[in-house]
Amino acid sequence: MTPAEREARLPLSDAPAEGAVRMLDVGGHRVGLYRLDDALYALADRCPHRGGPLCAGRVATPVEVRDGTLTIGTPRSIVRCPWHKWEFEISTGRCLVDERLRVRTYPVRLEDGEVVVSLDRPPGSPDARPGG
Amino acid sequence: MLIDCDIHLGYETLNDLLPYLDAPTRELVVSSGTNGLAMPTYPWNHPSGWDRQDVYQRGDVPTTDFVFISLDTLRERHLDAYDVDLGIVEPDEAAVLSVLPNAQLAARLASAYNDWVLEHFLQEDRRLRGMIVVAAQHPEAAAREIRRMGVRDEFVGVFLPGGARVPYGNPMYDPIWEAVNELGLPVTVHTHYETVGIAGPVTAAGMPDYYAEYHTLCGAGMYGHFVSILCHGIFERYPETRVAMVEGGLVPFVGFLWRLDTNWKACRAEIPWCRRRPSEYIWDHVRFGSQPLESPDDPQQMLAAIEFLRPWDTLMYASDFPHWDFDEPEQTLRQLPSEWRDNVRWRNAQGFFRLPAPVVA
Repeated sequence: MTPAEREARLPLSDAPAEGAVRMLDVGGHRVGLYRLDDALYALADRCPHRGGPLCAGRVATPVEVRDGTLTIGTPRSIVRCPWHKWEFEISTGRCLVDERLRVRTYPVRLEDGEVVVSLDRPPGSPDARPGG
Repeated sequence: MLIDCDIHLGYETLNDLLPYLDAPTRELVVSSGTNGLAMPTYPWNHPSGWDRQDVYQRGDVPTTDFVFISLDTLRERHLDAYDVDLGIVEPDEAAVLSVLPNAQLAARLASAYNDWVLEHFLQEDRRLRGMIVVAAQHPEAAAREIRRMGVRDEFVGVFLPGGARVPYGNPMYDPIWEAVNELGLPVTVHTHYETVGIAGPVTAAGMPDYYAEYHTLCGAGMYGHFVSILCHGIFERYPETRVAMVEGGLVPFVGFLWRLDTNWKACRAEIPWCRRRPSEYIWDHVRFGSQPLESPDDPQQMLAAIEFLRPWDTLMYASDFPHWDFDEPEQTLRQLPSEWRDNVRWRNAQGFFRLPAPVVA
């Protein structure tokens, strides 16, 4: 597979809005592209729990308890697997109910007005930020 | 060969049953309540949806707690996706009919549901077999319905929900046991609608506050029926009777059997019709659905805990599709020793439901 085949590109204007997902084929891998807090994140479309189509799940806001008070976390910051409803942080892939599980994440960068999602993670590369 | 003994299907609204109802019942369904007859339902909600989210779209119009799954969706997302050779259809909302206060109405709705599922699913895809839905609180009507539909190849058993007014071993249910014994049909007792309608609370502790509590305890009704059936000597009086316990887990049944065996030794004089130690009836008469397979961090702990049930002979694969806690087949099977898998995959269910044997090419 050539380096170009290990990437998917799309115009920044086609990136999803917060709360939405844009599905991509990255070198044969199904990947969901998300926007959160003006950054873009890419998650594998495979739930590490039972292999469900994670990116078909609803983007949701976590309900939390802080200092004994019921509150909400960052709006639209998690994706809930459509099969068994386990929740994963979009920004990290971390599973909220099983610390041993993490959904695979892919690096996202901006290049010449395009969003680039890659199978390969350059060491120390920051998350892409629109306009950044 | 794969047999799934727990697939749920349901109508979109009760109005779907109108063509199968007599005129007075149609009138009740249409005219009752504010916007037609409403079924009682759970006091809790699953926090993110009762069903797998990828099988339906949220709409603006509330229907039932459950969603209508079309035959196309069932085929695409389950039967074809997992190469299910035979699937046993259980009800969704129609399971509530056994805990409806109006027993006569419940019996008419149950008959209509059976006609509906027969026409729209069982006759449309020969991979599907139905469980007859009855109004258990009206045993005479239930027995009539069992004899009406139980002679058809499309139906392979009788569905009874976990929620009930009285445990299923009680003599009031004798007409039901007589009918299934006569026809050689198995009964599935499946967790559903505990605490709803005329059913008692899910446990004697009182009403749980959260859905997570309820769903952890929901097998409690089934455990009550299980012990009741054994203590009333159903398998002595109705020797052709077979019962499956579906969606009650597995580990709790082990504890109840051990405790009942012990109690039987001291209390045998109270239930002398139980001529054998209660657990000894299990191997010939009882089977268990695999879902939800208990999933401790160490799978070996689960296997050790259920070994007493002789799962290689008693366990039948169950998906619970399309509910949120369904188990897909390979995920279930790979947790089991390889020498159990063919039996769990199909052989135990084929014998229990007396389904066609696989065709050897």
